[in-house]
Amino acid sequence: MSKLSFRKQILSQLALVLIGAFVLLPIWALLNISFDGALKGAPVELRLFPEEFSLAAYIRVWTDPAQSLNFLGLLRNSLTISLGAALLSVIFGMTAAYAFARFRFPGQRGGLFALLVGTLLPPVALMTPLYILLSQLGIRATLFGLIVVYTSFTMPFVIWNMRSAFQAVAKELEEAAFLDGATLFASFWRITLPLALPSIGVAALIAFIVSYTEFAIGWLFVETSSNVTLAMAVSGLMGTSRAWSNMAALSVLMSIPVVILFILLRRYLISGLLIGALED
Amino acid sequence: MKVDKSELTLYSRIFYLLAVCAVVALAGRLRLRAVDRLPIDYDEDDYLRSAQLIAAEIQEQNWAGLQETNYRQEHPQLVKIAYGLAIAPLDRASLIPDQPTSASPAPRLPEPHYQIARKLSALFGSLEVLALAVLNPLAGLFLSIHTFTIKYHSQIMLEGLPSLTSALTVIFYMRAKNKLGMPIPNLWLLGSALFLGLTASGKYLFAIVGIVILADGLITAFHKRSWSPVVILLGWGLLSLVFFFASSPYLWPDPIFRLKESLLFHRQYASTAQEVQAAGMPPWQPFIWLFGSVPWHPGVFTVCLDLIITVFALLGFRSLWRERRLFALWIIIALAFLLIWPTKWPQYILILTFPWSLSASYGIRDSVWKPLIAWRGAYKQKTKMPASYSNLWRAALMLLPAGLAITAITFYPLFFQGAMAFTDFSAQSLRDGLNGGIWREFFRGISMQVPPSEIDISPFASNQAVRYVGLAWLEGVYARTPDLVFFNLMWAMLAVLLQIGLGIGTALLLSQNKLRLKQFWMVLFILPWAIPEFVGALSWLQILHPQNGWFALSGRSFGEIPGNPFAAAVATWQSNPLSVLLVLLVVGVWMGFPVMMLATIAGLKTIPRDIYDAAAMDGASGWALFWQIIWPMVLPLLAPVIILRMITAFNQFYLFYVLNPPFGMATFSLVSYFYVKEIGLYSASAALNIFNILILIVMLLYFNRVSGANKGVQYV
Repeated sequence: MSKLSFRKQILSQLALVLIGAFVLLPIWALLNISFDGALKGAPVELRLFPEEFSLAAYIRVWTDPAQSLNFLGLLRNSLTISLGAALLSVIFGMTAAYAFARFRFPGQRGGLFALLVGTLLPPVALMTPLYILLSQLGIRATLFGLIVVYTSFTMPFVIWNMRSAFQAVAKELEEAAFLDGATLFASFWRITLPLALPSIGVAALIAFIVSYTEFAIGWLFVETSSNVTLAMAVSGLMGTSRAWSNMAALSVLMSIPVVILFILLRRYLISGLLIGALED
Repeated sequence: MKVDKSELTLYSRIFYLLAVCAVVALAGRLRLRAVDRLPIDYDEDDYLRSAQLIAAEIQEQNWAGLQETNYRQEHPQLVKIAYGLAIAPLDRASLIPDQPTSASPAPRLPEPHYQIARKLSALFGSLEVLALAVLNPLAGLFLSIHTFTIKYHSQIMLEGLPSLTSALTVIFYMRAKNKLGMPIPNLWLLGSALFLGLTASGKYLFAIVGIVILADGLITAFHKRSWSPVVILLGWGLLSLVFFFASSPYLWPDPIFRLKESLLFHRQYASTAQEVQAAGMPPWQPFIWLFGSVPWHPGVFTVCLDLIITVFALLGFRSLWRERRLFALWIIIALAFLLIWPTKWPQYILILTFPWSLSASYGIRDSVWKPLIAWRGAYKQKTKMPASYSNLWRAALMLLPAGLAITAITFYPLFFQGAMAFTDFSAQSLRDGLNGGIWREFFRGISMQVPPSEIDISPFASNQAVRYVGLAWLEGVYARTPDLVFFNLMWAMLAVLLQIGLGIGTALLLSQNKLRLKQFWMVLFILPWAIPEFVGALSWLQILHPQNGWFALSGRSFGEIPGNPFAAAVATWQSNPLSVLLVLLVVGVWMGFPVMMLATIAGLKTIPRDIYDAAAMDGASGWALFWQIIWPMVLPLLAPVIILRMITAFNQFYLFYVLNPPFGMATFSLVSYFYVKEIGLYSASAALNIFNILILIVMLLYFNRVSGANKGVQYV
């Protein structure tokens, strides 16, 4: 493709502006309402800009997000649960992913198919059984219980992606290490793992996001208000009677870190997605 | 399934013949059973009355009277004459009263006239099955058990005869083609024209096979660069018009006016008749009929496999298009017509059950038969090679941690969920369920120690203990959710298609050389993907909320603006199925297009520059460049992302949770959650989930097969 002519440049920019407007429209609607200090409940008249610009809603939800915890407490719960689920998925799944990537063994295709079925399960398919299972173990309403729940949603997906990541590392590198007398473990630890780490990180990040933004199923498990997460708190503020500004402000606050991560890591994220290709 | 008759041995001929006989016998048996058991339906009194009037003329040998006797003149006359001929030898019964079409079904109709007329219709229906079975016995089997087809062929309706003649129209046309695929004037073509004429005077709707044949002729003419098919089909069309008029005596005295009157009725009926308005069906309602068996007459139909037939018809459509394009065209044109036509009565789907069953037989061949053969071949080969068990032990150790964990928290719960679907576990029996009641009842049930109980879902039910209910829930979900299944599939398909469109478009814009602000736009367009799904849905809610959203408020703030019907239409989006779909799609595209965009940008980078230059040298335009070079090179890279997005869209939860569309227009995930959270019917939710997972597995296997062509392409 040669250099753009002036006319093409203008037309392209116009098209991009239109798409940009489409992208920004709802985001603006949310920001608009979150900065609207005059709003008490649901909006009753159309305002495309805040009547009086204020950070009041943000300050309110920072100190009192209508749960017994403040914002930081909620964030701590969210991080504990999401990081816990992501780490558990990676640690428990790593060796299996490697085995699937490197060895040929009887039952491999069956195992991979089961894994694939695991990745396509909707989370609601596991909620009632997990509820009963964790109740029987007596950990249903604890933070650890939630970690287990979210791990069960993310683990098949993480293993699948880690397998692809290991496969993408050239086998010749390992074979060279074997020739130098390295053990299987050493070659895995010194060569394959470091090379696959970025992709594994992406898989972990996606697992993190799943747990960080989940609330519908989480609410079924939580009993004490000290275990509520950020996402659950946002959903607690939903409903027409409450102040929409608070809900908007809290959802903006909880989205900011994720959005920043996505923007910074966008290149790795997309290669992580493509590497999780269903090439079998 | 294309059988070259000359290669058939004697045995396979006999087998073929036996299969055809068995299928037709089954078809006749099922239709006669339905004739006996189906209650009297709407319209049956009208058509029998019409037949009585005609029979009276016949009994008096007053043949000219046929030119003035056509009760319910909005429908053509031929089927009514057929019914009239059938009951003419009988004693005359008192005339059925004239009632509006919206009147409820007649409580009783004169015997045996009523039985005779129904049996005549069933005979036409069975002959249609015979026509298909000769073409392909398996397809004939599908048509013979299709419940909607059975129902409307076993009542005094108009569908029986035109179903048969429309099928014959197409088959005869197929026969009229020479080896090059060109239609040539011969006796077969004459027969085709005759049957098309009879079809039109049976029921207008079925005459769309004429359009199918014209389309096929045009395509043939285009491919062979010859006008002769068009000319021949012109003659064929004129002939069929002649046959149409010849078989409708009512039209003879005043052809133009009476035909116009009869046809105009349908347009008016669709827009004014109360029963059409009251039904309030979405445009895609005919598809919903295809996705389930007849829901109104429990006990009449012994096998209810309509959904299975539809699944295989979808799976087989690609092959049907390649091998028997005429029938594939029939399906496409009929579906398009059903989608556009405003009246959505269930009997209309009979215009396509013939090719639909044929497609299903190709689906069986492609998705069951061929894989089985391939699997057997692979199995035989594999047993010759020693399995690498040495690897198994090394691998087993490495598989252990994940294997244990994933079994405990993903697969065991999945099986548990399966067991739950066989019980009536609900909020009332929660305590028993927590104490192991589900596995207890499941095992007692499948080992036949306890019979299945009736499901009692009233809130006053006093079942403290979990009980085994057998397949009741799963059957219920299978039979009662055609709208959900279809909506889910349509939603996933359309959402992903639109995402691909916008995603690729944006990626092409952004990949232009020397584009200004590239990084800025890129970061901006990632936002919908980066924002958590439910926050994105919440953002859209600020605009779309039916009371407090922008569109709703714009009406309130500026008074009722007569000049802004658009805002009013958007604000009330929840009241109309089509606008619900559109709104959901807009939000769905917003959420999903960034991934497609990023994947395409990554894919475009892998295309070497030389190819563009070479294409530019050859003078390829932008359009050709895209379809000839960019699309085929980017598609293999996009395929896995597309599959992932399809599954994500199929399972989409928060979008529906937040925007809250009407019931029946949601995903299985949301409905299943609703059953747990709001009603406490855990077992019903379990059955929904199991059904959902089965659909997903079928989808996955299908994608696997289709994208198997791209095997060997290295991703990234």
